Amino acid sequence: MKGTRVTRYRRAGLQRGRIELRQLLRNPKELSGHLTNVAVAVAVAAFISEDVPGTGIPMAHLTLAGFAAYLLFQVGLVNLPQILVTEREEGALLRLRATPGGIPAYLIAKCVLVVATAVGTLALLLLAGAVLVDGPVPRGAAGWLTLLWVTALGLLAVVPLGAAIGAVLPNPREALALIMLPVMALLIMSGTVFPITTLPVPVQQVASVFPLKWMAQGLRSALLPDAARAAEPAGSWELPMVALVLTAWAVLGFLLAVPLLRRAARRESGSRLSARRRKAARSGAVPAQG
Amino acid sequence: MTRRPVPAHDVVVEARDVTMAYGDVDVLRGVDLDIHRGEVFALLGPNGAGKTTTVEILEGFRRRSTGDVRVLGADPERGDDAWRGRLGLVLQSWRDHPRWRVAELLAHFATYYPDPRDPAELLALVGLTDQAGRQVNRLSGGQRRRLDVALGIVGRPELLFLDEPTTGFDPEARHEFHLLVERLAREEGVTVLLTTHDLVEAERLADRIAMLVGGRIRALGTPAELARRAAAQAEVRWTADDGTPRRERTADPSQLVWELHRDADGPIAGLEVRRPTLEDTYLHMVKRAADGTDQAEDEEARAA
Repeated sequence: MKGTRVTRYRRAGLQRGRIELRQLLRNPKELSGHLTNVAVAVAVAAFISEDVPGTGIPMAHLTLAGFAAYLLFQVGLVNLPQILVTEREEGALLRLRATPGGIPAYLIAKCVLVVATAVGTLALLLLAGAVLVDGPVPRGAAGWLTLLWVTALGLLAVVPLGAAIGAVLPNPREALALIMLPVMALLIMSGTVFPITTLPVPVQQVASVFPLKWMAQGLRSALLPDAARAAEPAGSWELPMVALVLTAWAVLGFLLAVPLLRRAARRESGSRLSARRRKAARSGAVPAQG
Repeated sequence: MTRRPVPAHDVVVEARDVTMAYGDVDVLRGVDLDIHRGEVFALLGPNGAGKTTTVEILEGFRRRSTGDVRVLGADPERGDDAWRGRLGLVLQSWRDHPRWRVAELLAHFATYYPDPRDPAELLALVGLTDQAGRQVNRLSGGQRRRLDVALGIVGRPELLFLDEPTTGFDPEARHEFHLLVERLAREEGVTVLLTTHDLVEAERLADRIAMLVGGRIRALGTPAELARRAAAQAEVRWTADDGTPRRERTADPSQLVWELHRDADGPIAGLEVRRPTLEDTYLHMVKRAADGTDQAEDEEARAA
């Protein structure tokens, strides 16, 4: 009985993920958001002509690798929290809470959606980069392997964290403003689109605490030749450190996400939903209904 | 409306002396409820009376302060997935899954339950067959609510919670909705707990009505019983021979009408008998609570 129930929930979760993914692909507004990221990255790469200092490697390759890392970072820490907050506001979380197996299925669906979005945009970026601006491709089997584990571990580092953030943010309007500022600061501080060694050492040290710097560094190791190590702070790719920092964030993310998501789901009720809706209607964010 | 005798042991919802306090504010001050299988039970009350709190405690969405609650044999605070699968919820504030298609959403929610209704039949039942391929956010308010009802019953719940289900419905949609609820209760034995402001709806649908005022159940009974309980008397109206409208209040309207006919020795123009209504009882209860008739009692309770 237990077995069949779990199977049913897993099937429901995968079905939900598939349907939400199809909706994303059919929603021009949301889809164009992801495509714009890729277009901007490729356009920036096309305008950069110099080399990575001290090497003969095009700076555009370093920039594209950095953008690739940023795309993963954004899916986990910007898109995912926004989806969670929006769906909580609409009452989807409450409906799933009132449905047997609804919350596990919801989490499965979000994993499907996030992984597909991240891998899809990453593949599109690398493909468009390679075709349009002679961008970098993984170097040999080892390069592909590194690309795979850095992507996987990078997502593990940011997705649970994004879920935790989505669980505590007040509403979709404020959520975006609250998230974007630190994300943009990290984008600049982490040396994603230009060599981090050009930044002051204290900034480099702050950036080293957060996952984006390590995701970018890991992807550079997969996409750039070893000569590019000259532009790294340690003069090497520091892959063990990449693995360590990302794992630490993944663990922290899970430790935060599980209780916070549970709390968010437990707190949902019809009256809270209506109260938030009234508040939103008063502030003019959504038209009053019903 | 036919009323079937209900065996006393078949109690779906049982609440004993349930209280709820938020800080210093007592929202529920000892609520007792018994709802029987197959019954349509309406919970009436002004805003802030504790209706929503009561229902959310029964749904397992809110922890009570004290008291005992059993819903379908389990404490809602410890209800597991299997228990949850036996409940259906229709809340008024849902605007979820806006981008899903109607049939797709219903078929998806059917997959969570062991023995779901057929989604296509269910769409026909709630009158949404023509909207099956439409996106949920393109439905009208009434259609959206009917979809919510379909989602609420897709898992064949034994107990269905309906929260202000017909707010914003036009009269025809309301009528259709009432037929649907009656059908679920009478033909399929679904127990329905309805919260509403609409006294006509409560009178029309409910086997029994509880009036919740100031955190307590002040009156409980069939609509007819409650109407009779009102202090108000029946009112007889007619047009006198000189053409002036007349009205008189009496406990025995039949006697008065008979006397009128006897005196006139023929038909009476404009004759009308108004029985005390549920609304009279309701307003009486609410007014009494507001007047402070109950205030003294509550203050005593607080002092004790």
